[in-house]
Amino acid sequence: MDQIMSSLAPRGAASGNKPAGGGAGAESAGSVTKRLSNELMTLMMSSSPGISAFPRSDANLFDWVGTIEGPAGTVYAGLKFKISILFPANYPMSPPAIKFDSPCYHPNVDINGGGICLDILQDKWSAVYSVQTILLSLQSLLGEPNNASPLNPDAAAIWDSPEQFKVQLMKYYRPVVDEAEA
Amino acid sequence: MATDSLRIYTSAKWQKAFERLNGAEPGIQGLLSFSEAWQIASNFLYPRDINDPGSLKSQDMQRVRAAFDLVGKSRMLSMLLDKFLEDMRRQQYLVERDVHRYMAEYESAGKAEAIMQLIFRLVAWYNAWKPINELGPTILSAYTLAFQTHIFSIFPPSFSRGFKQLIASTFDLVSASSPPPWAIPRDLPPTEQPPRPDYMLWMSCETLGLLERYESLISSVCYEHIEAHVHETCAKKWDEPMLPKLRDWMTEKIVPWMIMPYARGARSADEARAMLQGVGSRFDYHVCKTLCDLRIQEIFDIIIDYPDSQSALQDLKVASSRPGLDDINVIVDRVRRRLQECLQRVDQRSQLVITLRKANKKRLLHPGADTKVILAQYVSIIRCLRIIDPPGVLLYKVADPIRKYLRGRADTIRCIVASLVGDGESGDSLVDENEPIQPLQQMQADDYTDPNWEPEPIDAGPDFRTNKPSDVISTLVSIYDSKDLFVKELQVLLTQRLLAVKDGNYERERRNIEILKIRFGEAALQVCEVMLRDMTDSRRIDQHVQAQKPMPLHPTIISKHFWPPLQTNSFTMPGQFREIQESYAREYHLFKPDKKLHWLSHLGTIKLEIELQDRTISEEVPPLEASIVELFSQKDTWTVDQLVTEFKSVEKTAILKALTTWVDLGVLKEEESDRYKLLEVAEAVPSRSKAPARSAPVVEETTHTLSAQQQQAEQMKVFWKFIEGMLTNLGTLPLARIQAMLKFAPGYDRTIEQLAEFMEAARREGLVQVKDGMWKLCR
Repeated sequence: MDQIMSSLAPRGAASGNKPAGGGAGAESAGSVTKRLSNELMTLMMSSSPGISAFPRSDANLFDWVGTIEGPAGTVYAGLKFKISILFPANYPMSPPAIKFDSPCYHPNVDINGGGICLDILQDKWSAVYSVQTILLSLQSLLGEPNNASPLNPDAAAIWDSPEQFKVQLMKYYRPVVDEAEA
Repeated sequence: MATDSLRIYTSAKWQKAFERLNGAEPGIQGLLSFSEAWQIASNFLYPRDINDPGSLKSQDMQRVRAAFDLVGKSRMLSMLLDKFLEDMRRQQYLVERDVHRYMAEYESAGKAEAIMQLIFRLVAWYNAWKPINELGPTILSAYTLAFQTHIFSIFPPSFSRGFKQLIASTFDLVSASSPPPWAIPRDLPPTEQPPRPDYMLWMSCETLGLLERYESLISSVCYEHIEAHVHETCAKKWDEPMLPKLRDWMTEKIVPWMIMPYARGARSADEARAMLQGVGSRFDYHVCKTLCDLRIQEIFDIIIDYPDSQSALQDLKVASSRPGLDDINVIVDRVRRRLQECLQRVDQRSQLVITLRKANKKRLLHPGADTKVILAQYVSIIRCLRIIDPPGVLLYKVADPIRKYLRGRADTIRCIVASLVGDGESGDSLVDENEPIQPLQQMQADDYTDPNWEPEPIDAGPDFRTNKPSDVISTLVSIYDSKDLFVKELQVLLTQRLLAVKDGNYERERRNIEILKIRFGEAALQVCEVMLRDMTDSRRIDQHVQAQKPMPLHPTIISKHFWPPLQTNSFTMPGQFREIQESYAREYHLFKPDKKLHWLSHLGTIKLEIELQDRTISEEVPPLEASIVELFSQKDTWTVDQLVTEFKSVEKTAILKALTTWVDLGVLKEEESDRYKLLEVAEAVPSRSKAPARSAPVVEETTHTLSAQQQQAEQMKVFWKFIEGMLTNLGTLPLARIQAMLKFAPGYDRTIEQLAEFMEAARREGLVQVKDGMWKLCR
């Protein structure tokens, strides 16, 4: 199983990615794929409402697609956002690169590039986090933005007036459509 | 004319012949004396009937010698020999008569003595007819050959049987203090005692050339003797090493015997040793081989008897090992060592494998054998074969079918896990108490820097993996490809055991888990750790809650995510029970505001007292029983259907069973079919049953066990989660992509056809929809 999985690791990822973190070299591609398959299993079995993720194709375990539903009781309720998750070769020593694929009007999300400002995805990253915890954090981030360090100052400015915010949000929001139909 | 020359030639020849016979004597004096000498000599040699005492030789040896001399000088000895052999041929009927007489005696009595007598008689004939030594070795050997050829030609077929019997009897003879009368010729003078009891026998056989002719027969007799001895002394005797004893026996019994047939001519002990070398190692080999064959036949029972049968395995190891590197020394030593110490080895390994596999298949791997028994035997096989063959090639070959079979059994993991935690009921555990607990060992690649590395044995197959001696548990766990299954099963087992503990003493379980941590590693057992902590936390929380507000309820609070799925056919408790539960939940919520209790009312027991008009019944019952009797305190009569509606999720059979319990206790009565009434002798309303309840989940045998089919369904549920996950995130997918992506799901082994069936079923359930071969989730 390990051998099959390790062949799934992107060739570039194994050699060329940024060598971040102290113990980066110690992790081999085999143990990373193992960790990722375990995380996938855990995520599949956890049935946490509103969050989900899956590898984009069967050929690469390092590239995932995620779906986050806006938490109930917030302006995002009922909305769905696609995100992409790219795992580095030395995961979990370094955090995965995560961005919104759907446009998301949010104080901590770059409306154009989809970049996210979340401490645990940058300097507060720890190897004990997993895809599931990241997804849960993102979900709660939707309802509770950190307006102190906004990526989208406009959104941060109008956060306190939900009516106005919702209008802006819906202006940018595009419902998730299935790839085949898109 | 030619006649002239012919005449001259003839007369010259005649003259020459005459001169040869006449010598230098005048006239025909020489001719006369030759004639006389011929007469004497041929008369002397004439084969006489030894039964006729009158015909015994009584000639004057002086004259006889002179006569032979003369014949020899006249170069007529060959003529004399021809005549003698011709006479012998004519007299042969005398010998033949004797042979038939003795053989008839043997055939009627079947005793080897008759053969012995025959041999002695033949020796007597042989000696009587033997030409004197002065005639030289040529004549003697010609005579011996003629005599032997003759007697061999007249032996009836039964002779070899009789001879064999006779040889077999020599094994007893050699140790006899004095030879029995039949083993010495009648005509032997009593003063001349043979050096050994069997001496005369062997010497006589030698004289007649029987030893040479029947050499293979003699050795086969010895082989049979050895086999009989081995089977007699060693069969079913496994508690002590038999090989040294057999070797001693060889030294004491067989070697002395061998000296006569194989080393008669030896003049010194060293010479005898050299002569016995070859045949001795053949016999030693045969001892090893026979023992080996015997042990291989018994191997299955030997393994059952392990460890009492350890000695037998040692024998088998010594006797069966192939010559390896260290055997060169043995071979070198063999030359020097005394014969009986020589180690002849038998290559019987493949035989052992075949026999053991066959025995396993016949006696072990069938539905009648308990999984526990199979496992125990497997462990014994591991231990036994490790004694015989430390590299593990034999084990690998024998174990393979067992492992395959065990993999197919549903309860194998359960059994292994039960023995891991030292399940008290199983009696003797698979694990040796003295064996140190060590982490599970993974299959490892060869260590190329190992200076003591040895190549794999030659009979190792291509798929043989060097199995470094590992502990039994590692081997058992390695039956399955992953240890995850074991960890899962461990959790299930732990659930049962923890919920069964009533006195709050979890020390035993804690110890087990610590042991298992060493084996499986900390990470794998984290969940078990949480489960254990839940148990202790429950007690602590309960103490706290009781301190705030004393209550008759003592729940076990478990963290849902960390426990294996418990059966969820729970129900809402009625009446006072529910009040108690709710008030407990309120207290709990005060203590832990972020948590909520979800009651598993079907687990646990309730101790209650039912106060009826005339009697009080005190009983400890499962929650469902208690709930039903509680309902009867509200209303006297209930029908089964009413009760079924009351407990929505509970099956009717369970309710009926609970009702029966109360009927048995005399509390309820079935008035008419499916209609129950509270039984109060004095027609009084039962006072509210005061219920000091204790609700600790009780574990029934079947409570948590998921059957194989359920497991199958559970597995399919896992796959469904994956399908759901991929469809959620990737939108619509064709069947082939789904199949390809499902390789991320551990243990997925369905074919695409099976997947198609499954997806079709999901579609009928309304979970997915399909359009142009693209599947998507319904929402």
